[in-house]
Amino acid sequence: MLRPFTLHRPDTADEACALLARLGEDAAPYAGGTELLLLMKLGWLRPRHLVDVKRIRELGDLTGGPRLAIGATVTHRALERSALVRVHCPLVASVARHVANVRVRNVGTVGGNLAFADPHSDLATLFLTLDATVALVSPRGRRELPLADFVRGPWETARASDELLALVRLTPWPAGTAAAYVKFGVHERPTLGVAVALQLDGAGPGGARSSGRSVRVADARVAIGCVSPRPTRAPAAEARLEGVAIAELEDVAGAAAESAAATVDPADDLYGSADYKREMVAVFVRRALRIAAARARGAEPAARFPHAVVA
Amino acid sequence: MSARPLRVVGRPVPRVDGLEKVTGRARYVTDLVLPGMAHAKVLRSPYAHARVRRVDVARAGARPGVFAALSSADLTWCEPYFGPAFRDRPVLAIDVARHEGEPVAAVAAVDEATAEEALELIAVDYEPLPWAITLEEALGPGAPLVHTGEPLSGHFADLATLRPQPGTNVCHRFHFERGDAVTALAGADLVVEDTYRFPPVQHYALEPHAVLAAWDETGALTLWASTQNPYSVRVELAKMFGVPLARIRVIVPHLGGGFGSKTYAKLEPLAAALARAAGRPVRLAASVPEAFQTVRRCAARVTTRVGFRRDGTLVAVECAADYDVGAYADIGPRVVQKATYTATGPYRVPHVRLDARAVYTNTTPGGAFRGFGVPQLAWALESLFDVAAGRLDRDPVDLRRQNFLAHGEEFAPGDTPIDGKLEESLGRAAEAIGWTRAGAADRGRGVAAMLKASLAPSVSEAIVRLHTDGSVSVLASAVEMGQGTRTVLAQIAAEVLSLPLARVTVVQPDTAVTPYDQTTSSSRSTAMTGRAVQLAAEDVRDQLLRVVAEALGVAARDLALEDGAVVAPARRLTYTEVLVLRFGMSGGELIGRGVIAPGRTAAPLGGSTPFWEMAVGAAEVSVDEETGAVRIERYVSVADVGRAINPLLLEGQDEGGVVQGLGHTLLEEMLYQDGHLLNGTLLVYRVPRADDAPPELECHFVENADGSGPFGAKGAGEGSLIPVSPAVANALARLTGVRLRDLPLTPERVWRALRARGR
Amino acid sequence: MQINVAVNDRAHVLEVAPHALLLDVLRDVLDLKGAKRSCDTQVCGACTVLVDGLAVSACTYLAVEADGRSVLTVEGLADGESLDPLQRAFLDAGAVQCGFCTSGMLLTARALLRENPAPTREDVLHYLRGSLCRCTGYRKIVEAVLAAAETAR
Repeated sequence: MLRPFTLHRPDTADEACALLARLGEDAAPYAGGTELLLLMKLGWLRPRHLVDVKRIRELGDLTGGPRLAIGATVTHRALERSALVRVHCPLVASVARHVANVRVRNVGTVGGNLAFADPHSDLATLFLTLDATVALVSPRGRRELPLADFVRGPWETARASDELLALVRLTPWPAGTAAAYVKFGVHERPTLGVAVALQLDGAGPGGARSSGRSVRVADARVAIGCVSPRPTRAPAAEARLEGVAIAELEDVAGAAAESAAATVDPADDLYGSADYKREMVAVFVRRALRIAAARARGAEPAARFPHAVVA
Repeated sequence: MSARPLRVVGRPVPRVDGLEKVTGRARYVTDLVLPGMAHAKVLRSPYAHARVRRVDVARAGARPGVFAALSSADLTWCEPYFGPAFRDRPVLAIDVARHEGEPVAAVAAVDEATAEEALELIAVDYEPLPWAITLEEALGPGAPLVHTGEPLSGHFADLATLRPQPGTNVCHRFHFERGDAVTALAGADLVVEDTYRFPPVQHYALEPHAVLAAWDETGALTLWASTQNPYSVRVELAKMFGVPLARIRVIVPHLGGGFGSKTYAKLEPLAAALARAAGRPVRLAASVPEAFQTVRRCAARVTTRVGFRRDGTLVAVECAADYDVGAYADIGPRVVQKATYTATGPYRVPHVRLDARAVYTNTTPGGAFRGFGVPQLAWALESLFDVAAGRLDRDPVDLRRQNFLAHGEEFAPGDTPIDGKLEESLGRAAEAIGWTRAGAADRGRGVAAMLKASLAPSVSEAIVRLHTDGSVSVLASAVEMGQGTRTVLAQIAAEVLSLPLARVTVVQPDTAVTPYDQTTSSSRSTAMTGRAVQLAAEDVRDQLLRVVAEALGVAARDLALEDGAVVAPARRLTYTEVLVLRFGMSGGELIGRGVIAPGRTAAPLGGSTPFWEMAVGAAEVSVDEETGAVRIERYVSVADVGRAINPLLLEGQDEGGVVQGLGHTLLEEMLYQDGHLLNGTLLVYRVPRADDAPPELECHFVENADGSGPFGAKGAGEGSLIPVSPAVANALARLTGVRLRDLPLTPERVWRALRARGR
Repeated sequence: MQINVAVNDRAHVLEVAPHALLLDVLRDVLDLKGAKRSCDTQVCGACTVLVDGLAVSACTYLAVEADGRSVLTVEGLADGESLDPLQRAFLDAGAVQCGFCTSGMLLTARALLRENPAPTREDVLHYLRGSLCRCTGYRKIVEAVLAAAETAR
């Protein structure tokens, strides 16, 4: 049951921001409501005004180009099924397919997901490997900042109360990038999420296998989510992977994984003890790298791990 | 009984209430609306233990739209305590709140929103007190006492000899012995011993507790309640309000699950009190988080010692079990007593020493939950059996078979002899899991067996009414909570009276209409209520035969029932025609009555079990050693049921039992920290989902028609759940060499154990 | 706020408060009791209804969002007395016990089969990840969905 509120339905971002500016802490932007309404039912948030942003046309846009722009009100389902996303960032579509459950995906939005900064967000983790930036609009204008700076901590972002998250921009990986996302956990929200992306150098048009030359990792991205106050990249692990030949990736995966695990800052909680989480980060970074390596070779590994989802 | 083959019993007929359930027409308590109905909300203690100095409901009561606002101070016109074992549980907290979530005040208002707002207007002064959350805290020296003072005993004869330990948190003790276990263990060739822990877990019936209470102008009370035993609720309310039983009516629509959570009064007393104060009907529906604060399974710490001879013969079992029954006893003392009585499991054990305690803690009250204390003990015993098998270099299946009680063998003097063939269940389970076949290197197999007594003594009565059109009403108070009892009772009546199932209607439980039934629990409804229905139908049958015999001048034994008619050598009279014969006109009905009341016996618990529930479980598991995640790849359950009245419903029951068992085996645990329940919502309490179920799950039944229930039936529904945790742990041990003793076997727990073992 | 919503193919014009949840409007205003409140946190699926063919948690969905849309509840699955193949399959398979999860399961399965008429077992398990049942152990529910898909083809 919800407490009464006034529902505002602006048609433009300007109107929405003006409302947020005027109403301040008494108002919350509202799109799918899968996070917001839940928190309101639990009594943790009591906004007296909801600013429904779903009528703002451009927030629903999903556009391509050098960067992929995903409007704030694009649902997880739309992301999953978008031809544009499947072509340019297929892993984003695969990961979107596994967020929460089908009902949450049908209604919940990318913008809502990022704006709430739930520490267990799959998309936030994955987007860190895609040079994600978020665009915020307000009566004061527009600004765009890296996702890593936008998400400050659990349930905490850089969004001012009169700002609206308008869209998130991703830089798709070059063709032939081998990537994987694996999440693990027993509970509704995962204990950890790992995204790895290996941009390959020396791969021919048909992928790594078809090239006669040795294929190497030109650029590695490793992001880990859920175990630290916010999702993070693991630069030391990435450095360890750069220049490595795909054929030798298995040998290096372990060390890279250990290095990644050393960077996380887990706490003991319902999702696991800190030492367990740290160890699981190592396990799943290693596994994700192996999957990526297999994909680099044109294979799709059949590996399935209990309580884990592989995208 | 004629030797004619059964027409409807033993057939997988579709459930009689299926259509209304798939079309959304089935009605549960929260679907019911009465004119002028008020909505209730409850203010609950945020502390595990606190003195309640002052509860001021004045502002809440004055709010427009609020019909009643109550604290315990207002309940001057009723007995404020209830409970089936001890009357230790106040309707609203009196001077002290003993668990987080205990009701402290309540309101009834025009709608839920008003009721919620009214709660915020209630002022409560709490003085937090030291609490005891775990068994260790509750039993340690200087432990905070959850209760002080002597609670009154409740309404069950078998618990008339409750044995609390004054000055402690022990509210009941049970001791049972046979022979000389101490000496036998000292002389045994092998003794295995260990301590096993079973966590507090939540039933999570999809439908939380709900009640709709209404007093009428004559001072009679009617409740629609989501309860498994309307008669027990009726007794409780009669005592509470000083109203004769005949003026309290408890009606039970469909339940959205029960599993024991809805046995004995829970929210009914409060709803009735609110309705009385409000002067209008009140609906009180718990949310799922409130269900977490209302009842759960009793957690347990069990130390068991088992002695064997070198040749594998079991010589002695010593068991010391502490059960955490939470802040109020509920039916906890009976759980402890009855389960401990069968702590020796399905085995022949000459020397036995069993001690159990029911311990209060400042947590959600522990009550009945499928298995009724036996899962906790089987977890220990069946694990130790495999440990012993390892030490004796014996096959675990074989070691069990060697020690099983035989068909007809005595379990305890005065109690019913074993009425099933354990080795048949074991053999079928072993066969189905492929026990003797080489398994994959990454899989392990394990087995476990169980034995459980059903509630005794108990009473079930039934009435069958044959109407002038040949249709039949069955009146019995077994509650439909999904297990299919309405269907089974209909099948029994249809079989006896040779009618199509569609001609039989089972009336919803209603204490003003359907006669006494002790409880829908303890796997007893088919065997006991079903038997009462069978007797009632046979009564009608006998009346039909008598009427025709007299009219035709033949012997009743030369007559038979066939397809809704009485058949004589040269005549065939439909039931309609027989009734016309009987009454000389069109009108009237034949009423049959059945009573099952075996009464008290010399058995150790005061009554002889109407049947023994026995089953075997076999699991094949894999483990991801890097994460500790265990997966049940295959599971076989074999239950010895005597006769499956409806094999389809029974299979569904047992599949559900296995998966529910998987819950406490791998996933479920209510976690407390600093006195607070951390995971009291479905966001963080993890029940099995569809993809957790074993990809291969088989439920088999042994049917030797050797039960005392209708058509040789016994009981079922708990036996499938009980063996799951030890079967899985045994499989894991055989696969990895690691033996775990604390449930659930979460990935982290398994991972730690694997690390400790080393590679 | 006024909303125009077609529920089970019947048009309704309703006055609802902005904070009213679709589940309560369906149950209390339209008397469609089939959708149930259980976990109230979008985890269990007992409240599932289809809005323009998409499964939503009615317990966490504002009624105003249904404006201009069509809603399908379990009461709308059967065509008069003629059951939907899913309802038939659930009955035949013994996939119904207490029934509290049933309407949610049926509607979720209906959405699945509209989207994917030939689902694999994996597809069914994926779709039912958010639909809890405590009675059946799921096996018969999954069998029923696969059987209904088979029948419909």
